[in-house]
Amino acid sequence: MDDQVKEDKQVTRRSFLKMMGGLSLAGITIGLTGCSNTTTMAEQAGGDGWLPQQYQGRGNWPAQVRGRVPIDPDNPSIVRDDQKCILCGQCMEVCTRVQTVAGHYGMPMADDIICVNCGQCTLWCPTAAITERDDTQKVTQAINDPNKHVIVQTAPATRVALGEEFGLPPGTWVVGQQVAALKRLGFDAVFDTNFTADLTIMEEATELIKRVTGEINAPLPQFTSCSPGWVKFCEYFYPDLLPHMSSCKSPQQMLGAVAKTYYAKVKNIKPENIVSVSIMPCTAKKFEAQRPEMNDSAHYWHKKDIQDVDVVLTTRELARLIKQQKIDLSKLPEENYDPIMGEGTGGAIIFGATGGVMEAAVRSAYFLITKQQPPADLFNLTPVRYLEGVKEAAVEVPGVGTVKVAVCHGLSNARQVLDAVRAGNAPWHFVEFMSCPGGCINGGGQPRSSVPPSDEIRMARINSLYQADAKAPLRASHENSEILAIYEKFLQHPMSELSEELLHTSYTDRGKKINALTS
Amino acid sequence: MSKGVLVDLTKCIGCGSCSVACKMWNALPYSQTSQQQGSNLDADTWTVINRAEVKKDNEPAWRFIKYQCLHCDEPACASACFSKALKKTKEGPVVYDVSLCVGCRYCMLACPFNVPKYEWDKAFPEVRKCQMCANRVYNGDSPACVSVCPAGALTYGEHKTILAMAREKINGDGGYVKHIFGEKEAGGTSWLYISDIPFENLGFRTNVTTKPLPEYTESILGLTPAVGLSWGALLTGMYVYNRRRNEIAKEKEKPGNK
Amino acid sequence: MADQGKWHFTMTPTRKLLLLLGLLGVLGMVYRLVAGLGSATNLNDQWPWGMWIGFDVLTGVALAGGGYSTALIVHILGVKKYSPIARSALLTSLIGYLLVMAGLFMDIGRWFNFWRPFVSWGYTSVLFEVFWCVSLYTMVQLLEFGEIATEKVKKGWHNLFKKMLPALLIIGVLLPTLHQSSLGSLYVIEVGKLYPLWWSMLLPVFFLMSSFFVGPAMVTVETFLGARAHGHKPDISLLQSFIKISGYVMLVYLLLKVVDLYYRGAAGLVFAGNLEGNLFLLEMVCGVLIPIIICFTPQLRNSVSGLVTFGVLVVSGVILNRMNVVFTGMADFMGGAYFPSVIEWLVTIGLIAIGVLGYLFIVENFHILPSHTPGQAATTVDRVKTKTASA
Repeated sequence: MDDQVKEDKQVTRRSFLKMMGGLSLAGITIGLTGCSNTTTMAEQAGGDGWLPQQYQGRGNWPAQVRGRVPIDPDNPSIVRDDQKCILCGQCMEVCTRVQTVAGHYGMPMADDIICVNCGQCTLWCPTAAITERDDTQKVTQAINDPNKHVIVQTAPATRVALGEEFGLPPGTWVVGQQVAALKRLGFDAVFDTNFTADLTIMEEATELIKRVTGEINAPLPQFTSCSPGWVKFCEYFYPDLLPHMSSCKSPQQMLGAVAKTYYAKVKNIKPENIVSVSIMPCTAKKFEAQRPEMNDSAHYWHKKDIQDVDVVLTTRELARLIKQQKIDLSKLPEENYDPIMGEGTGGAIIFGATGGVMEAAVRSAYFLITKQQPPADLFNLTPVRYLEGVKEAAVEVPGVGTVKVAVCHGLSNARQVLDAVRAGNAPWHFVEFMSCPGGCINGGGQPRSSVPPSDEIRMARINSLYQADAKAPLRASHENSEILAIYEKFLQHPMSELSEELLHTSYTDRGKKINALTS
Repeated sequence: MSKGVLVDLTKCIGCGSCSVACKMWNALPYSQTSQQQGSNLDADTWTVINRAEVKKDNEPAWRFIKYQCLHCDEPACASACFSKALKKTKEGPVVYDVSLCVGCRYCMLACPFNVPKYEWDKAFPEVRKCQMCANRVYNGDSPACVSVCPAGALTYGEHKTILAMAREKINGDGGYVKHIFGEKEAGGTSWLYISDIPFENLGFRTNVTTKPLPEYTESILGLTPAVGLSWGALLTGMYVYNRRRNEIAKEKEKPGNK
Repeated sequence: MADQGKWHFTMTPTRKLLLLLGLLGVLGMVYRLVAGLGSATNLNDQWPWGMWIGFDVLTGVALAGGGYSTALIVHILGVKKYSPIARSALLTSLIGYLLVMAGLFMDIGRWFNFWRPFVSWGYTSVLFEVFWCVSLYTMVQLLEFGEIATEKVKKGWHNLFKKMLPALLIIGVLLPTLHQSSLGSLYVIEVGKLYPLWWSMLLPVFFLMSSFFVGPAMVTVETFLGARAHGHKPDISLLQSFIKISGYVMLVYLLLKVVDLYYRGAAGLVFAGNLEGNLFLLEMVCGVLIPIIICFTPQLRNSVSGLVTFGVLVVSGVILNRMNVVFTGMADFMGGAYFPSVIEWLVTIGLIAIGVLGYLFIVENFHILPSHTPGQAATTVDRVKTKTASA
């Protein structure tokens, strides 16, 4: 019995071992035939998708044009759809080389993704992965709310570009059709930002004269302040030069402030029921409207939660709204802006082009100093017109002497002027800065008529503006009858106490967000 | 030989190019949440950039943390895989072979950094994670994410070289904390991180063991043959002894009982 | 002996319910195999292992430990007085392991690939050892059962099985020893992830010991349940001495736990008052400490209620221990949330129902219980059921 058990056990053990051996042999065989070979796995594992050519076969060498700009998810101006991004690097190119923002600050970063909101990247992005933040929904909601009085203003530059979205040649003048479209969209009143562009000139020229005469203690040259991308750029990179910045708000913010005070009073509408919309060629205007200090109408009425401008739409968003309503802009009749804040001069029209603000300011400053109409050559100040990066001019003003001015557009060009001012080598009294190359006509919110933007399109839009200025019945801001009216009935005079409250602002030092580049 | 990537967190601008490159090269679909910052790794998102809002010298500061598989030198996932579907290649990447995968998900449990994710919505799911673009690395290219970084935050190279570079950097005057994350963590990883903010403030798992995780199980599994053999021998011995004792007892009882 | 080929299985209301539950479970399993894990379960990236692994597999294997501990005591150590329990312990163990295999099969994502580890050897994985041991052990148990089955069917094979039995018995104790401990080793790699009250290099030892001492407790519970169902008296004197074996192992277990906690400096966490601490206390006090007291207090041990309490507490304690390791201890690190889905419950319950039905069928048709002749059960069960129904 005992022996029997032992034998049984040995037999089963042997067979068990045999089985184990057989199985392990099978395992090894399969292993050797490549099923679990790490080299094959290394060759095969990983992607089977694609990347643009610039990233292929480079070994460990870097691609020259690579990556993309960082965009804060909370950026009020621009958003990006990762699904459309192909990492072509174009946004990085324009941000680094044209606007000198990306790569021009030191790391590690503070608590801010450096962006001046100019939106040039939306014009360079080949797949439109980067776009303006779409706020059209807010406008539709406001228009559909019967309790809201929805007003709208249109910037000088949208009227020479909006048509491109509807198949018209670049630069086509569509000011009347634009007003007609806005009225058909259901806006209660359509105003012209040109009105406050003229107002800006009155305030800014007055401020310039006071700086020159020493009446206010602020340095020269005075910087224009109507391009919000430029203003934020200066706050980031040249905060030491902020005292040079004109305290005037931009035309958009001036109209927002007077709409909820002056217009509200005249029409007897509660300011909190007014929804103030603006149509801008610019993505930075979305940021500007949200700046916390841009609520002077709230201070005026001693109320809370009122922002001077509620919604900013870019030209592209307006086109989208019009197309959604199946309106063909090119077939619309020409209609006029609504009164009180609907009149603009030729000087205001050319705000949309680089050099325009300067030319308009010179025209009115000449008048304000000399009380005489400026000479004819000030109505065709060619040295400050068109696409040269930095332009200079000198104007003889009786009683003052030679006034020297400079104009630059595109922030890389701004750096040249700013560095000169910083170094104390600036002969100018007044400098115009525009964030975008070509001025507002090439703003980040304009139609993507060529990608990246071309000088041909820029020139078409600029020429259209200057032609309109040439043909305008009134060409200097101080001639605007509605401007004269608002001073007479409401603001009293340029830089009055009320003007200072509603039309002027202050700036934020953002220098701490930038670490000086160490390398 | 073994490659690695050095992530310099002080240089990351948070553009997310790396995560897009990963999606493109690996042909990964987008989900609704995968574009939001603060999102986590999932089956179709192998690398993410998350914003850490911290303080530096009492001033608020943002740091962007790239997160993906760290490619441990001795990966816990690969040691936990009972069918060898996960392996460390000699170039560095820890790669996955779906044909060998049973789908037990022990790798997900074993990973000290919770990296491997699962395709829960599929009938025959795969384990998914960053493979460090093993095929690109095998062919001499850098991983897709590294190749697109515009900020110089990612450096690819020989593991030894980038480790030396990391040491040089943290010992210089760049304000780095004196810690290379991944040099010792989990026994060392192919991906290394340096930072000017202590890693624990940035959400890194700094309390991870510095002993390679496979060693824990090896020290136990190593005992198996010895335990098995001696226990088997003991059992056999006891069986034989007790059987014989019972037989003898029965034999003795037999005459009396029957 | 009953006539060959004549099977007895009378349906009662309870059995019909079990059958229904079993069918629902099968439907759940079919759905899971067709639709995938995501739609059938609430598993997610934070909780890759859920109820099927945690309860069906980890706890199931532990509770089926009665098979090997009884085999060790009866056959290897030759304590023949417990042999009346041996066959039923083997049967519950076999059914338990078959259910574990079914649960495991449900849980693996690429089930058609289940055989991979047989050829692609991931020998560095604890799971590899578990996989081999569990599959071999189930095979061994099937062969062991073959010895019982051939008493009734294919009688010609009976002698062969009887000859194989000694080797099978030895392997059948060796393999569970290895994989019961390995189930603990599975969580050794969770170092730093598993809460320190449970993580220890001694996890395999703890798992092995608890799977051993839960054996007699499980047999006690089963004996009382079976006795009630089949209307015969359990042998209390046999059971009370049987659970003393558990008691001694539990004493060592408790001591080792305490020493381990102090050695690792985790003892302070026991009274931290948090969820982990409280559940650990519950597990140790109710599942180990109180049963030890019952076990070594003769008045308690000799009473039916004492025995039942002991059995229930120890079994619940081991279940809680496994749940704590799989869920409580991992929750803090993994984050997210997990609660089993309807289908997970259906499959788990269905598997248990099928197991119970299988057990009843085999008990009534083969020679498993000492005082029981195959073929006579149905009537007594019916009687018991009517009693419970009227109560």
